[in-house]
Amino acid sequence: MDEWEYKPTADFDKTPIEKLSVFPRQPDMFVYAIRLAVHAVLRVWMRVYHRYHVRGREHLPHDQPFVMVANHASHLDALCLLSALPLGAIQRTYPAAAKDYFFTSMPKVAFSAIVVNAMPFDRKENPRASLDLCRELLATPSHALILFPEGTRSATGELAPFKPGIGFLTAGTNIPVVPCYLAGAYRAWPKGAWIPRPRKLELRIGAPMVFAEEPDAKRVAAALEAAVKSLQVDESSSRPGIPSTT
Amino acid sequence: MLDNQVIRTYLAIAGGVLLLAGTVIVILKFVLKKNAEHAWHSFRGWLVMIPLVVGAVLLGRTATIVFFGLIALAGFTEFARATGLYRDWLITGFVYLGIIAMTILTLVPPPDEAATLGWYGMFMALPVYVVAGILLMPILRDRTKGQLQLLALGIVGFIYIGWMFGHLAFLANGRNAAGAILFLLFSVPLCDVAAYTFGKFFGRHKMRPNISPNKTWQGAVGAFAVGMALPWIFRFSLAGFGTRELLLAGLIVGIGSQLGDLSISVIKRDIGIKDMGTLIEGHGGILDRIDSLIYVAPLFFHMTRFFVGLQ
Repeated sequence: MDEWEYKPTADFDKTPIEKLSVFPRQPDMFVYAIRLAVHAVLRVWMRVYHRYHVRGREHLPHDQPFVMVANHASHLDALCLLSALPLGAIQRTYPAAAKDYFFTSMPKVAFSAIVVNAMPFDRKENPRASLDLCRELLATPSHALILFPEGTRSATGELAPFKPGIGFLTAGTNIPVVPCYLAGAYRAWPKGAWIPRPRKLELRIGAPMVFAEEPDAKRVAAALEAAVKSLQVDESSSRPGIPSTT
Repeated sequence: MLDNQVIRTYLAIAGGVLLLAGTVIVILKFVLKKNAEHAWHSFRGWLVMIPLVVGAVLLGRTATIVFFGLIALAGFTEFARATGLYRDWLITGFVYLGIIAMTILTLVPPPDEAATLGWYGMFMALPVYVVAGILLMPILRDRTKGQLQLLALGIVGFIYIGWMFGHLAFLANGRNAAGAILFLLFSVPLCDVAAYTFGKFFGRHKMRPNISPNKTWQGAVGAFAVGMALPWIFRFSLAGFGTRELLLAGLIVGIGSQLGDLSISVIKRDIGIKDMGTLIEGHGGILDRIDSLIYVAPLFFHMTRFFVGLQ
């Protein structure tokens, strides 16, 4: 018989708080349970308070890793995108969040790690290592990543130019990128406001795009920016639309 | 059911010991400027643990049982993380269910006797069902590679860390619940302290150098002597105990607490880690704290049940 080998989990000698800042996050059933419960409540709250509506859910890929990209106007964005996915997928979907903002204090780390399941993205010191981490995450079949290629929340609600990071990640690969546009988030929770206001939110999910034949990162970013922009226009004229930008 | 006089006495003892230890550490640290960091951290750990435990016992039977159930879950989690069993969510999850079932069986009466506290028969039979369930997991997944190790870890994890420790919670169903539980919670750590102190001052001969290099025969003898004396000192909380029962309680506490400590050390040494976790400041993980209790609690439980009767 082979000698038995014990492989302690990577974070077993960390305190519960340190554990939360370890990434890739180790499986923790208590965290899974809390996350699931919070998201179940969150979904109801989104429906009731924001009359949240998702269009184009059928565009979400199945059984393969993918990236969702969206405009970024409020702190609601990552939670909205997570709410558009099946409840079972939230444990395997990682919104990239600014390390210099969301991983600075204990309450923020706890919220980002437990509720959002955020991946700490080091946009200042070492974006390249963070992109490597993204690539690593996407190597697992059931994983998904949520990215906001503008790099920061929009102060005006207007779509800012996409940074090329998303291109470095997906150019020349078979990873599908799903462009999304979240309408109403800026009016619901603009930068600087304390609490979200009860404004209607709508997520429009576009058809997935693959950039296997496109080696240039900047062109990938531009294509995605155009795709997100095209979703700004509310196609359903039968219903009173939400002003797309401000 | 919970005798408040007994709890009050233990509260006074706890307060007194904490005050005394705190004073000694403060004098060592700030007056004599000695390096007392380790003692200081360990003391702060006790400052958190003692109010939690005594608080749970004060709140009554249900709170005590749920509290120990949560400790068993946390202890098993540490074990699973340290051994790597945690990666197998199916077996880990099943053991969690087993521990939850155990806690429920400790709370509810048997179906046909609504006046009895805790479903003793099913509590005792539970390992049969849990082991049968754990053995089912590789069959469900049609796997063989490395399965014996996972099965073994799951079974040890449930029976030793969940179920044997669970006897402590079942004591809450006894006539003399608070007395018996507080006796164990106080005397077992006191034995550990005695082993440490005697070893420090008189330690010459290593007891089990491979398992725990700091343990000495002198420390063990000291702990044994203290363990034999403790049931007599805490006699007020052990209702119905005669000479024979007090002697047996002394043997169980005096020897059992050392063996419990060594058993967890064997596991830690084999894995190659120092502490099982980091939850309690100055003490390591929960398992490092309750290691002796896991071994002592079921032995004390069955001795009490056999000679004195539980309810």
